[in-house]
Amino acid sequence: MALDYFQVECVEEKGRKAYEEIAGDILMDLNLLQIISRFYIKIDPEFPFFIAAGEIRKMPGRVLAGDFTGILNEDGKITIEIGDETYLSFFLQKLWDLYGRDNIIQPDRFTITIDSDIGNVDEIKNLPVYDAGKGVYKDIIYAMQWIAPEGFKIRRECTKGNRFYYIASENILTDDIVEQEISGALEKLEG
Amino acid sequence: MTFVPITYKGGVYKHDIILDLIDDLGGHIVQKHMIAQDVVLQCLVPKEDIDLIKETGRPFGSEVFESPLVGTEIAVISPSLEIHHLPHTSCDVAEYLRSAGAKTNMIGLSRGFGKRIANLNIEERDIINEHDCAVLMLGNFESCIRHKIPALRRGINVPIILTGGPDTESLSTLADPPLDGYVGNIGRIGHRMKKQEGEIEYLDDLVDVISGVLDEKREEIAKDTLSISPAKLMSIIDEEMHITEGSTHPTPITVQIAGLRVKIPYEEYADELGAVEIEDGITIGEICNILPSRMRNYIWIKIKPFSETNIMV
Repeated sequence: MALDYFQVECVEEKGRKAYEEIAGDILMDLNLLQIISRFYIKIDPEFPFFIAAGEIRKMPGRVLAGDFTGILNEDGKITIEIGDETYLSFFLQKLWDLYGRDNIIQPDRFTITIDSDIGNVDEIKNLPVYDAGKGVYKDIIYAMQWIAPEGFKIRRECTKGNRFYYIASENILTDDIVEQEISGALEKLEG
Repeated sequence: MTFVPITYKGGVYKHDIILDLIDDLGGHIVQKHMIAQDVVLQCLVPKEDIDLIKETGRPFGSEVFESPLVGTEIAVISPSLEIHHLPHTSCDVAEYLRSAGAKTNMIGLSRGFGKRIANLNIEERDIINEHDCAVLMLGNFESCIRHKIPALRRGINVPIILTGGPDTESLSTLADPPLDGYVGNIGRIGHRMKKQEGEIEYLDDLVDVISGVLDEKREEIAKDTLSISPAKLMSIIDEEMHITEGSTHPTPITVQIAGLRVKIPYEEYADELGAVEIEDGITIGEICNILPSRMRNYIWIKIKPFSETNIMV
């Protein structure tokens, strides 16, 4: 596994091993192994509660239109060649908002043309199309919900800076317990 | 004549020869699958004729092997149908039992999750009780399993086989009074079971345990024999009512150890089904209880024992 630090803590050894494997599989399924650097899980089957805390390596940044397109300004019209279709729908939406839907012509799937009187090449190139980091926290919290034992409906989750934590239980979580467990888990990440 | 459950796998070409042969030998075809060029037959045939079937099928490139679970309907129960249990553990188990010949129904409980909050509702309990046995698939922690078992087994009167993450020995200490079977090391996982060692081997153990439990049940039934064998009754019903022809179900008539599930509406067909003559004026209604199934609007037939009917077909 590509994590710098990964630990699962549990009083039951068999369960600990199983959850180590489950967490690895799920992080791999959701492509989070490259994003998370340090990860700690503690499970108490008696209380019962599940706590996970982690640190993010680096956030994927914003995708600009220039990153995945080739833009030409010829004969009074701007021609945009799409290199990666993944971001096309977000890109079209931005262009429509910017120049009006009638002015954006798409002769085929991978080409967009705009009259050069209306559009501006530099403006288009620097247009932020998609924030790849925006979905990451959502993905991480989804991964935590998936890793956590089922039926833990009471939960608190937080993402701040490059740290995140997730605590869940089926019993009431008092502030004392949450604070104590979270600070314990975050301490483990320091080491 | 002892009937042995077998699976026949072969090509479509001339497979009707095998169908006729099984029929002539007095055997019963419980399930027939046509998959592209292949035919898979799950059937009950006389023990001494297995070699004859193998011999006859050899020119068509066939394979014949014993499948201990043919003619049984098994409930595979997971605490819910959430991503925590599906598709991996529950589907792997259900699929593996099918390859051993069983008809499995996956049951995801509506509130089976959680240590303290797990429970079983009346509809779920009744549906589970219509099966030959139930495989209860729980998670990785001993303390959770110990807590949940009393709630999840309440009212179930078919044999229960418990699977979970802890090893078989530890599992067997968790239920009080004891359950009918335990298979450890099949807990929650996050990937398909592929490795023979540590994964598939436990599924093999599960098949062994289930067939052991069902053999006991068969022996119990054999002490007071059924008035008719379920597989034979299936052939008769299908011949009279042409259910397979008009149905898109994989198993329009599901064979159980002591009964059948007929997948046609109870309200419309129960009387007609009861009046079907088996032989010499004996009707199905005389030797079976025809009941509405809790599963959709199907018919559930329970065959009465000889001591109750004094009739043996």
